[in-house]
Amino acid sequence: MNLIEIRNVTKIYDLGDVKVNALRGINLEIKEGEILVIMGPSGSGKSTLLNLLGLLDKPTSGKIILAGKDVSSMNDNELAKMRNRFIGFIFQQFNLLPRMNAIENVELPMVYAGIPKKERTKRAKELLEKMGLENRMHHLPSQLSGGQQQRVAIARALANSPKLILADEPTGNLDSRSGDMIINILKELNKQGMTIVVVTHDSEIAKIGDRIVHIKDGKIHEIEVKE
Amino acid sequence: MIFEMLKSAIRSILSNKTRTFLSVLGITIGIAAVIAVVSLGEGAGSSIKKNISSLGSNILMIMPGKTAGKGRLAQAVGDVFTEEDADKLLAYSTSLDGVTPILTMQMNVQVGAVNTIANLVGAKSDIWSILQINVMEGRLTLPSDESKSVCVIGQKLKEDLFGDEPAIGKSISILTPAGKRTFTVVGVLEPAGQLLFFRPDEAVIIPFKTAKLRVFHTKKVSLILAKVREPELTQIAMQEIDSYFFKKFHSEDRYSIISQDYILQTLNESLTILNLVLGGIAGISLLVGGIGIMNIMLVSVIERTREIGIRKALGATRSSILLQFILEAVIVTLTGGIFGIVLGAIAGKIISRFINIPFILSPAVVLIATAISTAIGLFFGVFPAHKASKLNPVEALRYE
Ligand SMILES: Nc1ncnc2c1ncn2[C@@H]1O[C@H](COP(=O)(O)OP(=O)(O)OP(=O)(O)O)[C@@H](O)[C@H]1O
Ligand SMILES: [Mg+2]
Repeated sequence: MNLIEIRNVTKIYDLGDVKVNALRGINLEIKEGEILVIMGPSGSGKSTLLNLLGLLDKPTSGKIILAGKDVSSMNDNELAKMRNRFIGFIFQQFNLLPRMNAIENVELPMVYAGIPKKERTKRAKELLEKMGLENRMHHLPSQLSGGQQQRVAIARALANSPKLILADEPTGNLDSRSGDMIINILKELNKQGMTIVVVTHDSEIAKIGDRIVHIKDGKIHEIEVKE
Repeated sequence: MIFEMLKSAIRSILSNKTRTFLSVLGITIGIAAVIAVVSLGEGAGSSIKKNISSLGSNILMIMPGKTAGKGRLAQAVGDVFTEEDADKLLAYSTSLDGVTPILTMQMNVQVGAVNTIANLVGAKSDIWSILQINVMEGRLTLPSDESKSVCVIGQKLKEDLFGDEPAIGKSISILTPAGKRTFTVVGVLEPAGQLLFFRPDEAVIIPFKTAKLRVFHTKKVSLILAKVREPELTQIAMQEIDSYFFKKFHSEDRYSIISQDYILQTLNESLTILNLVLGGIAGISLLVGGIGIMNIMLVSVIERTREIGIRKALGATRSSILLQFILEAVIVTLTGGIFGIVLGAIAGKIISRFINIPFILSPAVVLIATAISTAIGLFFGVFPAHKASKLNPVEALRYE
């Protein structure tokens, strides 16, 4: 079954005097339960595509169908709800809120989901324990290593048990050991049934993908399928 | 959810203490100014009204000249009334039961080496029943004192001239335009506030004939004071007096009849204007404080662009972002408001003690001040909050 269908999607950034064609007609299906890796040179449009999948932005033309629903038909609140329940983000720069400790960061998506405090804290603790952070629950992001921060971010992405994990160069700011750890976690999550889309430059990491999509100049250049 | 928002609002407010302190200060000063001005205004108003209303509402003052417009007295045009008018008026009117002509002027009063300025008032003994004041010691002037050199003095003047020494039976000298005159003190008045045209506390009251013959040397009088039998008859009395003087002068411009109500109303009007002007000035400082808040909020929204992007990526709706920023603004202004109320109350209390008026801080004013500071937060917070809420998540996440 296709979790996501991308049809003829283009994205043009209008900078007034210049128009940047970041995506020029993307057609792609993402199956439920697969790991899809997106690779390509810098500026090829990988992040742009991921942001569209994450409902953080809207395509200039074309359609994105998420779990059977046309995204362009959703209003702001529905999009927010979808991001909250259906999608988990993992960013290269971790993007933790600096004034909140690990537990509070993990709780945040649950706050927006309206889950009561007690339940939130319980689940946040469980998730952080799974990430091997039982001794770092009350640390602020600035008191954590990069790898630890990224694990907090993963715990946060998992807070509302999303179906889809979007990771934009999740290991880009990490050393290889921490990077491996993150990759193993992603593999583990996939085993549990989550659909994962990873953007990376690293061909080692790309190996975890069931399929590898190569993008060049805003177009799909090649799709490698692992047998 | 709202509790979480409150918590995160307070957290971000506390994350920049200096800035928060300054924003709070802006509102504190504004609210304090408003509270101080309003409470002092109320205090002053009540103290003036208390003095005036203790007179009773049935006293009429007939002055030379025309009342210029609402609430303003024209310069007296000179001596237009005579002693005779006072007597005729009492006979003419059915509703008056006391009338006295008044001669009055500021003069220098001496006792030994002490000398001071006081209001010299020449009046018939009817003045006592009209103004309803009594003596603290000695006696009031009587009809039989007319043209005798006796006087009753105000309580404050007595203290200035005699200190703790008894004054009854002593002499005081008054430097009149016609030369130095000496009077024997027969009574000291009980304390009273401002009464219509003079302050009895600082006055020397002598019999009318004495004033006319020995001090003023004139057939005219400064003004006429009348008492209406019953307060309900005040309107009728005013009409009667008006018709008497209109017949005499064939013009409304030479005299004016002033009632207690009129004075109260005039005072109220001037007090209201004063309060509005001062309140307006205080209000401007509030406005400035509010603009300061908006400025800081706008800076804060820009600084926290990334945070907003993250929150949106995690599922924050526009309205929750909007609410969060408005909440922050309201917390700042409300805190400023509460400090402002306390500070304004303290300042008002101190000032009121210095200028010797009662301090009145009504619950309504406190409530309104609280409401205003909340409203400022809402008003000046909405724009930045709206800006924050409609940030594009991708742009916000890319922001460095
Ligand atoms: N907000 C924006 N406004 C204007 N142009 C943009 C914007 N975001 C991206 N672009 C442009 O769109 C193109 C694709 O950008 P994108 O970020 O998707 O690249 P990427 O493949 O993720 O690159 P990298 O590997 O360096 O992260 C680039 O040319 C970029 O300059
Ligand atoms: Mg990118």
